[in-house]
Amino acid sequence: MLDISLCLKRPSWLVDSKRMRMTSDFQWLLLTVLLLYLTNQVNSQEKRTLPDLKCVTNNLQVWNCSWRVPSGAGRGAAYEVCIENRSHSCYQLEKDIKIPPLLPGDYEITVNPLYGFGSSKSKFILNEKNVSLIPETPEILNLSADFSTSTLHLKWNDKGSVFPHYSNVIWEIKVLRKKNMEIVKLVTYSTTLNGKDTVHHWNWTSDMPLECAIHYVGIRCYIDDPQFSGRKEWSNWSLLKNISWPPDSQTEVFPQDRVVLAGSDITVCCVTQERVLSAQIGSTHCPLIHLDGENVAIKIRNISASASSGTNVVFSVEDNIFGTVVFAGYPPDIPQKLNCETYDLKEIICTWNPGRPTSLEGPRSTSYTLFESFSGKYSRFSGNKVSTNESYQLFFQILPNQEIYNFTLNAQNLLGQTESTLLINVTEKVHPRIPTSVKVKDINSTAVTLSWHLPGNFTKIKLLCQIKINKTNSEHELRSVTMRGVESSNYLTTVDKLNPYTIYTFRIRCSTDPFWKWSKWSKEKQYLTKEAIPSKGPDTWREWSSDGRNLIIYWKPLPINEANGKILSYKVSYSSDEETQSLSIPDPQHKAELQLDKNDYIISVVAKNSAGLSPPSEIASMEIPNDDLKIEQAVGMGNRILLTWNYNPNMTCDYVIKWCNSSQSEPCLMDWKRVPSNSTETVIESDQFRPGVRYNFSVYGCRNQGYQLLRSIIGYVEELAPAVAPNFTVEDTSADSILVKWEEIPVEELRGFLRGYLFYFEKGERDTSKIMGLESGRFDIKVKNITDISQKTLRIADLQGKTSYHLVLRAYTGAGMGPERSMFVVTKENSVGLIIAILIPVAVAVIIGVVTSILCYRKREWIKETFYPDIPNPENCKALQFQKSVCEGNGALKTLEMNPCTPNNVEVLETRSVAPKIEDTEIISPVAERPEDSPDTEPGNHVVVSYCPPVIEEELASSGAEEGGGASQVIYIDVQSMYQPQAKPEEELDSDPVGGAGYKPQMHLPITSAVDDLDADDDLDKTAGYRPQANVNTWNLVSPDSPRSTDSNSEIVSFGSPCSINSRQFLIPPKDEDSPKSSGGGWSFTNFFQSKPND
Amino acid sequence: MPPSLPVPCLRGFCTSPHNPQAPFCLLTLLLPPLSLGAPISTAESINQAYNLALDMQIQTSALLQIYLEHQGTPFSDPNFSSPGLSLRTLPSTDMPFEIWHGLEDGEHLSLTQKAFWSFSQHFQLAKDDQSDLNPGHSIVVDQLEEARLKAKGLAGNLAGIMTALDLPTPPANTPLGSVPLGDSVFERKCRGYVIIRDYSFWTDRAVTFLGELKAKYSE
Repeated sequence: MLDISLCLKRPSWLVDSKRMRMTSDFQWLLLTVLLLYLTNQVNSQEKRTLPDLKCVTNNLQVWNCSWRVPSGAGRGAAYEVCIENRSHSCYQLEKDIKIPPLLPGDYEITVNPLYGFGSSKSKFILNEKNVSLIPETPEILNLSADFSTSTLHLKWNDKGSVFPHYSNVIWEIKVLRKKNMEIVKLVTYSTTLNGKDTVHHWNWTSDMPLECAIHYVGIRCYIDDPQFSGRKEWSNWSLLKNISWPPDSQTEVFPQDRVVLAGSDITVCCVTQERVLSAQIGSTHCPLIHLDGENVAIKIRNISASASSGTNVVFSVEDNIFGTVVFAGYPPDIPQKLNCETYDLKEIICTWNPGRPTSLEGPRSTSYTLFESFSGKYSRFSGNKVSTNESYQLFFQILPNQEIYNFTLNAQNLLGQTESTLLINVTEKVHPRIPTSVKVKDINSTAVTLSWHLPGNFTKIKLLCQIKINKTNSEHELRSVTMRGVESSNYLTTVDKLNPYTIYTFRIRCSTDPFWKWSKWSKEKQYLTKEAIPSKGPDTWREWSSDGRNLIIYWKPLPINEANGKILSYKVSYSSDEETQSLSIPDPQHKAELQLDKNDYIISVVAKNSAGLSPPSEIASMEIPNDDLKIEQAVGMGNRILLTWNYNPNMTCDYVIKWCNSSQSEPCLMDWKRVPSNSTETVIESDQFRPGVRYNFSVYGCRNQGYQLLRSIIGYVEELAPAVAPNFTVEDTSADSILVKWEEIPVEELRGFLRGYLFYFEKGERDTSKIMGLESGRFDIKVKNITDISQKTLRIADLQGKTSYHLVLRAYTGAGMGPERSMFVVTKENSVGLIIAILIPVAVAVIIGVVTSILCYRKREWIKETFYPDIPNPENCKALQFQKSVCEGNGALKTLEMNPCTPNNVEVLETRSVAPKIEDTEIISPVAERPEDSPDTEPGNHVVVSYCPPVIEEELASSGAEEGGGASQVIYIDVQSMYQPQAKPEEELDSDPVGGAGYKPQMHLPITSAVDDLDADDDLDKTAGYRPQANVNTWNLVSPDSPRSTDSNSEIVSFGSPCSINSRQFLIPPKDEDSPKSSGGGWSFTNFFQSKPND
Repeated sequence: MPPSLPVPCLRGFCTSPHNPQAPFCLLTLLLPPLSLGAPISTAESINQAYNLALDMQIQTSALLQIYLEHQGTPFSDPNFSSPGLSLRTLPSTDMPFEIWHGLEDGEHLSLTQKAFWSFSQHFQLAKDDQSDLNPGHSIVVDQLEEARLKAKGLAGNLAGIMTALDLPTPPANTPLGSVPLGDSVFERKCRGYVIIRDYSFWTDRAVTFLGELKAKYSE
């Protein structure tokens, strides 16, 4: 066997051509013979029997050949195998043979059973193509896991030392998960065999945390040897190795605090002994993936970027929750706007913008490192110190003798890293700090020294500084200054060309050469320059007082740029040919009043400040008269007004225009303005000007001797409409005209040049007429435009008499109409018409009266017959015949005197309750009736009166209607005549009419009141016999309708007035002295219509 | 400032977040009454402790709400609750009411004092956790710091009351040892939640107990 092994080894070297040369010829021949023999044997076997020889190699150095043992051969049968090649080689073997690899080609192999087992000799033909290369089963040296990263680490040995030459090897690795060994990963891995044993590593990161389930790993290989022509096959799988999380009773969730890329997928599992009910990420519930036991997992796809506190993944069991926090974010963005500069050439400050937020904060935030490649130094940024404006910065100390810096800014977080680079020359990137300690010192009134401090080491460079000079009410001025840099020191410069006594504000900023950036402006430093003497004398004017005795000198305060300091006082001097006098006026006062004796004086005014006196301003006192002076008008615009005048060659010095408010009394001066002598116009502008105010402008020309008033102008900078309406009154009114007079509007109220008046009038009453829209041109409104402003009256003619007119008056200026004032006037009545209107009806009435009278006169007989026939005389009536003595008594005896008549009607009056009843009483006499009256019967009852009413046909008509078919004949009794025949009988004249016995006239019955009743009763007891019916008082009491006397003056109490016998209305009401109604006495027409007398 | 000054810390005064004098007010509440020389009556001490506990009780719900709002869902979900979570280093909330009610005042004071001392230390933990977790949201950290100070102050007040009542002085306050539930961010979030939740339980208990004690000693 040792020999064979020797022989087996050597052929492997034969493959190498170099080594082949080193073998001995003997060995070469021997092996050749052996191979030829084996080849022949194989060929002979093929020829005779099908070969069962199978040769396999796993390292290409030894072929392991085996054949099927004949059924008759027992165990331990031995064979002699001979290979026919160049050297015939034979081996005694039992079952299989290990032979060295043969060169390409066929080799006969002869197998002879030994010891005579009866088998025949077999021959096989062997070729390399029939040999299979099956590598040895690989062995996993180590399988480990990094649970934090869910990574498996596999380690194995390729055992390359056993292979004779370089070969490519393909490894196949499989990862199985869970106890049921689900393949989760199958991967190939290529290496090369280099003749040495090499340990290989393979890492695999699981998408599921390794803690969630057990993981198995197996490996096999495939050797792809290009020189081997036989069949190549995969090796067997290695023994599986596994990784599992140590079992624990506690529930745990994996992975914990994992930082993942936003948008990626992640699997989270819960290792537990309890039953998991649900799982959720954020507020989203996820389906459970069941693993071994009660373990579950969820797969989160495309996870969103987390908030600061991360994204919670929670597994809920029955009464508890378990979870983990996933931080989904982004790797750092490339640092943007990286800029490195220095403030002071001592330290470099680099700033940058982090770019897109990573959504990772706190311990997971991005860390930055600033690395300088020339020096190899670096500076690190702590992620917690984030600047407020999201700009990061790092400081780097400047190194001596190094000006060029190559910076690399590295940004890194758990998801990745980026970097940005910058190469700078630090001397060109100087951004000086803000200058401090700015100080100013005087040199003179127009120059100062300015100093400031600038921190930094600028010894090697130049500084360029700017000085911003601000003066009140003027634009700022920039001045630049270049200076050598020094080491943290003060810098000094001179600022000249300043104005005296002026407040300046200085600010400074600096940069370096070459320019990179300006520093910020320093704080303002305010400084007042020194005073100088006033550069000019004050502008002067003079006015004579109203009495012409005093001259008032006015001067304007010097502007600050001419005063050159604080003006302390003014010196006013006036000199004539004879004398010179002066006086000092303190500053706030800008005028002086001088008493001059009419001489021509030259007045000079000098301003004084602490630095000295100004040049004098001189003005002559004399005023040259001007006879040809007219007052003109002018209107300006806004707050300015243009004044012009003719060129006058006599005016040798300036023109002066002075103005004042026209309402002020003289001497009046608001302001003045000097205009050069060659000017013919100027614009007067003043903030004091107000619209609607009248100003007087005076243009003076200046000669050597004095000033002459050239023009006097009244003007407005802007006209306004009048503020008030003109007061107007009506002077005279007639039937067809009105004379109106108005007053002038005061200048203050006029507010412009008066252009005229507008007078409106229309018919209308107060409160009913209102002139609306005066400008709208209503037809019923008449308008008169009075453009003659001197006119103050207006007569309005052609008006209607006794008509109310509405008058309105308005004034207008160039700016428009003023307010209106209105008045209502009624024209007088037309008297002729009135007279005619009265006289005509009167005349007509008179004529009608006259005609009627004439007619009545002429027809009086007829009228009398018709309307007033003769009344029969009762005396002729026997029934009514009284004794003569009775009827012809004293006239004072007021008894009924019956005329001799023949009554044809008698009215019988009953009590009020009984309707009047008119009967035909042709024959019945009242006397005949009376005896039948009961003595107790009231006098009002059953009184029969014959009476004669006045002529009232209407009454008759109504009576006739009431009576129906009753007596229509009316008997009129002349009252006066009726009385006379009924005069009291003479017997009664001497006797008391009450106390007397016998017949008593009715009117004397005193039945008026209760007392009277008593008296009457007494009287009744005393009297007997006939009781007269007529008693006024009785009528009063008993019947309101009873007639009363109307003759109050008469002592004779009448029975009543004549009344219609058909009417109960008394035509002549009785007199009642107590009643005011009757106080008027006489016959009142109103009494006639009185339907019911007062009770 | 002498402790015998009238307590200006009315409820509305101290609880107003915009009150510029709130820090001084809080300082007054937290002053251990016996650490200063001037004596203070027992009733006043109890009243002061009661007012502080009352203020803490009012602030607790806001503290819990702000805390949970900054932890993300499901913590920030409305009505979030997880009774299964617990922290063994926290004062126990398991004691049945009957047993608690049957304890003497001294035992009540002792247990409550220990509880709030423990809470003050746990709040420190929670505050550190949130500083890492929510560096941009200082309101959570500020609220936890305020709760820590108040818990510490109440523990001091209770110790003072015990001394005033001649009860055994509470043992020296020992530092908090290792606290579980701190291995992961999720556990730290839960830990903060449990601390505030149990703190709420104990503030309720303290208000009730101190209210009774106040009534007893004000008679």
